[in-house]
Amino acid sequence: MDERFSRYEKIEFLGEGQFATVYKARDTKTDDIVAVKKIKIGSLAEAKDGINRTALREIKLLQELNHPNIIGLLDVFGHKSNVSLVFDYMHTDLEVIIKDQSIVLTPANVKAYMLMTLHGLEYLHNQWILHRDLKPNNLLVNSAGVLKIGDFGLARFFGSPNRIYTHQVVTRWYRCPELLFGSKMYNTGVDMWALGCILAELLLRVPFLPGESDLEQLTRIFQTLGTPTEQSWPGVKGLQDYIQFKSFPGTPLNHIFIAASDDLLDLIASLLCINPIYRLNCQQALKMPYFSNKPPPSTGAQLPFPAALTSRDAERAQRKRKIEDQIERGVQPKRLQFDTSW
Amino acid sequence: MAGNFWQSSHYQQWVLDKQDLVRERSHDLGILTDDEYQKIFIFFSNFIQILGEQLKLRQQVIATATVYFKRFYARNSLKCIDPLLLAPTCVFLASKVEEFGVISNSRLISTCQTVVKNKFSYAYTQEFPYRSNHILECEFYLLENLDCCLIVYQPYRPLLQLVQDIGHEDQLLALAWRVVNDSLRTDVCLLYPPYQIAIGCLQIACVILQKDLKSWFAELNVDIEKIQEIARYVISLFEMWKTYDEKKDIQALLAKIPKPKTQPSR
Repeated sequence: MDERFSRYEKIEFLGEGQFATVYKARDTKTDDIVAVKKIKIGSLAEAKDGINRTALREIKLLQELNHPNIIGLLDVFGHKSNVSLVFDYMHTDLEVIIKDQSIVLTPANVKAYMLMTLHGLEYLHNQWILHRDLKPNNLLVNSAGVLKIGDFGLARFFGSPNRIYTHQVVTRWYRCPELLFGSKMYNTGVDMWALGCILAELLLRVPFLPGESDLEQLTRIFQTLGTPTEQSWPGVKGLQDYIQFKSFPGTPLNHIFIAASDDLLDLIASLLCINPIYRLNCQQALKMPYFSNKPPPSTGAQLPFPAALTSRDAERAQRKRKIEDQIERGVQPKRLQFDTSW
Repeated sequence: MAGNFWQSSHYQQWVLDKQDLVRERSHDLGILTDDEYQKIFIFFSNFIQILGEQLKLRQQVIATATVYFKRFYARNSLKCIDPLLLAPTCVFLASKVEEFGVISNSRLISTCQTVVKNKFSYAYTQEFPYRSNHILECEFYLLENLDCCLIVYQPYRPLLQLVQDIGHEDQLLALAWRVVNDSLRTDVCLLYPPYQIAIGCLQIACVILQKDLKSWFAELNVDIEKIQEIARYVISLFEMWKTYDEKKDIQALLAKIPKPKTQPSR
């Protein structure tokens, strides 16, 4: 694999997550711009486990997937017991777009992003794959306005009735009530809930339910959407980490999303349905009137693009802000490393 | 394994052509006869099976490891990597891919040592020579040579569905399941899609149990020619087993394997 390592010429540092460092690079073979995600080796003990599990999950799943709204894995190479994954280069992500105050997101823009996300997610769910970490930061957008779902480090197959899954998945703000109650046999509903939160965030331009602890997360959810009961969610009291909450009536959604049309409010309500049984799946969501009603979703060039990205300095500033944000949110990178070698 | 088989890397890249397989193996088959080559692969399938059982892995993981092993040598000569190193590496990678939980590298190595000593002393007089760093390095080569195609579809799931369709047949299922395990000692997992292998193995199980399911087989929408080919592979394996004593012959066979240029210091 060593020859492959020299094939990609690093252009610049793009960002850093918990498990990986991402660089923009040029594929010297095709002259394409790509994103190279170099998986970090954590501790010495982790290094002994060989190829990182998170990287393996991404490799094994993305190798099987091919959809315009799913990030494409182009190549994998190793260098000195370090794995790097080569992806389509994506210019920005939904988090940057949402936070960029200079961008106006029209109803047609929001519809376009939702539609592309749902198409990608429907394809995933049809392949019996749960993403388990949907958030604006993982919805990547390229310069043509195409949205692709990325970061499959937590994704996995579902459907085996006897398999137990961990409930420690999904970034807290996008985590659904059944996960927060410790359910280990969950379903596509975990992704649908996250999508509901993302939709709300696209409208509000701030995170919808930014809980600071798991407990506070549940409080926020129930304050907003109402506390579930054994009647509205049979079996809820049997979940491992169930705790009795004060009975909140919930806030009418049209008081929160004052400018949203009725068909949009319907979609939000059915994605953010507390009982996972009644939460919409992708197919049902795509059939909601919202998607066939006016306005039609924006296409390509009609979609906004962060102005900052045109200027390199601004891009750097933004990147810095992103890392700072991460630290604030408690997702502190394991180690900050700005070395110039891969 | 879930997902869509028809769009999978398994179906699109890893159902190989018999001619290609023969061509890729031509180097090794200049040194070993067909028969010897197969016996060596049977030995390492057994090795993977027993190693997996000692590690308490599910059969699905063991089967995936075996397929990795065979896929690697479908593209490479035995001299590229010592199969005694590649076998545990396949088990290591498969256990991660199948989300089996963590097998620590040190546990893998110590289990290899016990397995070689207690179960395969008829093949190896010396102790298992490899260490974690060998496995870790080998894992990279394996991943690369698999073209990063890690998801393997196995015949077990289609077999369960087929037997369910036939009706309640516990004895048939148990036997067919074992025949599927045996089929890992042939090339069928490289040459045919798993649903065909399941049908082929089911057919053999029916013959052994003298169960007449001709009309059920007749209604299957499947290329019966292929099923017969699969059955022939498995039957010739059974024929070979009748006269073959692995314990007696394997040392000489292992000595004949084309060797990598560099060997770990023992």
